[in-house]
Amino acid sequence: MPASASISASSSHHRASPDLLVRLGSTDPEVKLRALREVKNQIIGNRTKKLSFLKLGAVPAVAAALDAAQSELLVQSAAALGSFACGFDAGVRAVLDAGAFPNLISLLSYPDEKVVDAGARSLRMIYQSKLAPKYDFLQVENMEFLLSLLSSENETVTGLGASIIIHSCQTDIEQNALCHAGVLKKLINLLEGSLSQRDASLESLATIMKDNPEAASKFVSESGRALSSVIDLTKDRYPRTRMLACRCLIVMRNTSPCHLQDIGIKTKLVYLLLELLDDPGQVGEEASFVFSSLIAQKEDLQKLAFKANALDKLHNQLLNYSSHPRRFQGILLVLADLCSNLESCRSRFLSLKALKLVADALTNDNADVRAAACICLRSVSRSIKDLSAGHFTNEVIVIPLVRLLHDPCTSVQVAALGAIGNIVVDFTTHKSTFVKCGGLKLLVQLSKSMDPTMRLKALWALKNLTFLADNTCKEGILSELTTPLLSSLICDPEASVQVQALALVRNLVDGCINSVEYAFAENDIILDAIGRQLQSASKAEIGIQGMYVLSNIASGNEFHKDAVHQVGL
Amino acid sequence: MPVRVVEASAPSQVSGANSGQTSPPACTLLSVGQAFSGTQNVCSLQKDEAWRVNVRIQGCDLEHGYLCGTMEALNVPMADTPVVTFWEGEIVDTKNYTFFTGKWEAKPDDDIRHWTKFPSFSPLASQVAVDGGKSLDLSNHPYIFMRWKEQNFVNVGTDCGLTIAGFYYVCFSCSDGSISGFYYDPNSSPFQKLELKSTNEGRSGFSFSSYELQ
Repeated sequence: MPASASISASSSHHRASPDLLVRLGSTDPEVKLRALREVKNQIIGNRTKKLSFLKLGAVPAVAAALDAAQSELLVQSAAALGSFACGFDAGVRAVLDAGAFPNLISLLSYPDEKVVDAGARSLRMIYQSKLAPKYDFLQVENMEFLLSLLSSENETVTGLGASIIIHSCQTDIEQNALCHAGVLKKLINLLEGSLSQRDASLESLATIMKDNPEAASKFVSESGRALSSVIDLTKDRYPRTRMLACRCLIVMRNTSPCHLQDIGIKTKLVYLLLELLDDPGQVGEEASFVFSSLIAQKEDLQKLAFKANALDKLHNQLLNYSSHPRRFQGILLVLADLCSNLESCRSRFLSLKALKLVADALTNDNADVRAAACICLRSVSRSIKDLSAGHFTNEVIVIPLVRLLHDPCTSVQVAALGAIGNIVVDFTTHKSTFVKCGGLKLLVQLSKSMDPTMRLKALWALKNLTFLADNTCKEGILSELTTPLLSSLICDPEASVQVQALALVRNLVDGCINSVEYAFAENDIILDAIGRQLQSASKAEIGIQGMYVLSNIASGNEFHKDAVHQVGL
Repeated sequence: MPVRVVEASAPSQVSGANSGQTSPPACTLLSVGQAFSGTQNVCSLQKDEAWRVNVRIQGCDLEHGYLCGTMEALNVPMADTPVVTFWEGEIVDTKNYTFFTGKWEAKPDDDIRHWTKFPSFSPLASQVAVDGGKSLDLSNHPYIFMRWKEQNFVNVGTDCGLTIAGFYYVCFSCSDGSISGFYYDPNSSPFQKLELKSTNEGRSGFSFSSYELQ
């Protein structure tokens, strides 16, 4: 039958040949070389083939050829190992397990330039993976080796040096060690090198300066042209270089706000990144995250972005990229940053009807997208005007948000709690949509979580839900939460949870005078817990919220006032 | 509170901030959740009437000189139900906002004419005439001056025959939580007076609730 014939042909095409494994182990260099070439050619860009060879145990056989004396064998072995590692973590693991890493490193000192290049290329592939071994810069000989890589005439070798920095430089001690060893100077020189050297240098510089003001000022003072070179590269013809130059400048600015305060460069970065967002590939995807780091928590930049019509552009991107998870996530995060402070942005966001698109993203298959949609909703719902108008309390938003409280991914649950915490402040006394769709029950359940962040956020939302709630709503909250649970949360091991529990009680006993009675349920256990906390308050906010509760109770009748006296403070 | 003159309402614009100066004194009664009730005199040539008014503060950001809330007019003759509007306020802190409105059809002369209606304004008047009060330090002043601008109707449509085109000059007393105000709209009766007292919902003292946005 033609169909089955075709399937069998295709499956045999993907299968790695055991015979090839035998040839890889051959003592005849010619046979071995042909086998290595064959493996390399078969696996290039073919994940299925890589996996198939991996299962066959081909990687140790390929790695064994690194012991050979002939240059051509070394080149082919390194190239095949690099191919296994390229964009494939299982391949990286297999190459490392086969013990090939130190042998690949030693190829870098080989007299034959082709071998050096092949070794460096292969190691660069490995260093693109999180699984690559961390390089210890603090050892003198390692630092010297790194400097020798960065000084090399070979573009692949300098690129490897940069990759090692990008992968392994994680602490400020390592950043400072690299600065003191003179790495910044080498990287600044590479800014004038080839395309790949420029890109690698920009990425390494960003890694070294991130959150390290000392490194950032050393970079600026290292050479008069260092900063201007990076600024020039924001005009490079290649989009990736432009994006990396923007990122480097933003990292520097976020690290040391004294740099790049000029309104001109800020505006330029906003327009550059908005333009890079149009790139249909990886650059456009990364640009959204870089844009987010530019405007996050910076109202002046959010204003500039608003004036540059960023919201309209991002709205179009939401429409076009909903099936590209990482890009979609990036766009949602930029929208969240844009709407985090400015009412004008929130207002434009709503007028573009972007809320529906974000509500749809709450049910996306990808957990990062769901969390980003919650973060975006949290920002947009900071508008008291829109909360008051009840824009967020409709079923289109509330139902999927409440469902996310069940999400298997904790970060999604926490993000959903953040958005819910805002949305339940709807200023109407009914708050019915949220309660009807089971939101209250789930918040109470999460307030019992073992995870302190979850308890904190759940109680925060419950506190906001109780704000100006009518008596029916308050009764519902307390009967679900129960008096014993509330009093135990007032005494939670985490101080931040105690604060939220006390603020919840403060709202519970506010409003009509009958509400004060909630503090006296079940033999005054809530009042007792508050008294205990006030006597041993570990931070001021506990004292403040506790005193508000007592003050609200004391504004009741004579019995209530006496009870406050009895607390005995 | 809405009035009956038909006039399209102008959208509000946030004024630019000036640098320096300090925030007004934090006053416990000018905080979220606090309710006020009283009346607004709606004088006209034909008759003299007063509408009952309830106000609730929903948001307060002293740092940005921002306040907002709802205003409920109870016995509006043309409406079947109480009419609720959402308003946003500018606190005259001389940092974010000065005594000069600079919008909503209010010229400095209009501003001065209204502010001088408040007795507590008289010690400030001469300086305000010079620079709108920019150089004044109001951080310890016992009164907080504000402008409240209704932005939208909450429970009725815009076709209800009422308008919210004007805005209020408001003076809040930090000592007793009382509020007086004058409605300004070139197309409505001048100096309609708003008088509110903070309420404690039947308690023997004030009670304070809170929410926090994340």
